[in-house]
Amino acid sequence: MALSEVHDPPARLGRRRWLRLDLTTPTLLGLPLAWLVVFFLAPIAIVAAYSFDVYSLNPGPHGFTLTAWHDFLHSSVYLRLFWKSVKLSLTVSAIIVLLAYPLAYYLALSGTKRKYILLLLLIAPFLTSYLLRVLAWKVILGNQGAVNTFLFWTGLRSPDHPLSQLLYSRFAVMLVLGYIWLPFVALPIFVSLESLDRRLLEAASDLGASRLQAFRRVTLPLSLPGVVAAFLFVFIPTLGEFVTPSLVGGASGYLYGNQIVDLFGTGFPDWETGSVLAIFLLGVVGALTIVFARFLQPGEVTVD
Amino acid sequence: MDVALSKNGARLLRAFFALVVVFLYAPIVILLIFSFNNSAVPSFPLSGFTFHWYHEFLANPDLKAALETSGIIAALSSVGAVVLGLLAAMALTRRRFVGKSAVSALLLSPLVIPYVVFGISLLLFFHTVGVPRSVLTVVIGHIVISVPYTLLVLVPRLNQIDVSLEEAAFDLGASRLRTFRSITLPLIVPAVVSAFLIAFTTSFDEYAVASFVVGTRVTFPIYLYSALRFPSQLPQVIAVAVVVLVLSLVVVVAAEVGRRIVERRFASLESS
Repeated sequence: MALSEVHDPPARLGRRRWLRLDLTTPTLLGLPLAWLVVFFLAPIAIVAAYSFDVYSLNPGPHGFTLTAWHDFLHSSVYLRLFWKSVKLSLTVSAIIVLLAYPLAYYLALSGTKRKYILLLLLIAPFLTSYLLRVLAWKVILGNQGAVNTFLFWTGLRSPDHPLSQLLYSRFAVMLVLGYIWLPFVALPIFVSLESLDRRLLEAASDLGASRLQAFRRVTLPLSLPGVVAAFLFVFIPTLGEFVTPSLVGGASGYLYGNQIVDLFGTGFPDWETGSVLAIFLLGVVGALTIVFARFLQPGEVTVD
Repeated sequence: MDVALSKNGARLLRAFFALVVVFLYAPIVILLIFSFNNSAVPSFPLSGFTFHWYHEFLANPDLKAALETSGIIAALSSVGAVVLGLLAAMALTRRRFVGKSAVSALLLSPLVIPYVVFGISLLLFFHTVGVPRSVLTVVIGHIVISVPYTLLVLVPRLNQIDVSLEEAAFDLGASRLRTFRSITLPLIVPAVVSAFLIAFTTSFDEYAVASFVVGTRVTFPIYLYSALRFPSQLPQVIAVAVVVLVLSLVVVVAAEVGRRIVERRFASLESS
């Protein structure tokens, strides 16, 4: 009755129709979806097209072919490099999840009053510049860096024999990646431990379980989704990492991501092969994301 | 008896926590120390106190231009991302429509794409459609990667607020737009501000994607990356690093504290 009249005040309707930009679903979703389709999906589709030689940097005839894919799947070089990246990312992710678990446990379950301040203290470095934190390690690990010159200065090591394995090595890549991602990993674990019902632990204790048993049988299984999420949150981005290895990795820290970049570089660009490598990486990451999707749900975003 | 931790266990974990915090902040402190060190090579022993490197970077026109470019890009892309994120978040939280989970998956998917893949995708895209690389192409890429972050902040907040307030306004004759302006927006201002800050810092710091689509005006991270190859520039880069790191730590802490205070106030208002 009256409500519909209020919503369509006849006097204003004609004059201001063009202004009645109301928040209908298409109005709300149109722009965000269009943006993602044009600037996210379409670019990926173009990379896929390059990988099948539908597009090419080379002049001359070209059309759909699987040559680049065939070469890639039969090349030991690229696949070995991919495997090296997988192993390195797995190692880094596993180590920092193990390190982050006790941190999150302490924050969530020790009953400290300052837990949010401490959590912020832990997370804050992650929210500062990525590149600058890599730079810090370059300054620290170099042959003339903080660690080595400190060792020379204190006489623990002679300046002729610096610890040269510190920088430009696989070790440096792992250390820096671990340093960068550690604060972030603690977060999902903290969230899962924080939501744990303490009464379950009390019940376990009342029924005679030791703390260790209660941890093994109650806390750990219930926090596992957070652990899996934490693991993937590091594994996925580090798998294609190229910035850290190019700054601190040297030759032995050269990873799959660096190979992709170099195939699009100025030296000898090979966009077809580079596209294959990129789409392959995307496929692996996409498959992981779909398989583990239920662990990656960022809580309330996918509500319905 | 505490069921989760023994006294000694808690002590042990506290010590471990402290150790990790030292590990996290030590590199930043070392940069801070070297930024005041009177030597062209950042090494021990320290050779004296100086402000020279700070003066030098303040007088460096390339660096200033790069900071300015990054500021412009971060401002444009964070506004863009917040607008897109807000539109999408309203649809996801206030509307029913077919394919909602697919839509939210698409909007969040930039979170998991390796940046190297997204970077070359944009490079090939702009190459194919014939758009020259510029500040604008970086902004476009940064909006894509920031939208999911804005959603992660805005959607939970929109789910928190009481829909009956909006329904009341709507029943009283306000249009949806008016309802949004007068009821919803004021309630989510803190979340909008933190979404904006997250998008801004994401863009300001972003190297990987920008490195593929940047034009002749380089951004701050790209300037830094190339400066790292020249040892003579290292000390002033360290000085800049200290300024940026300390500033961003302050902003992060202030934003978080501010958000907490404001939301607590809202919570008490809503419950009363």
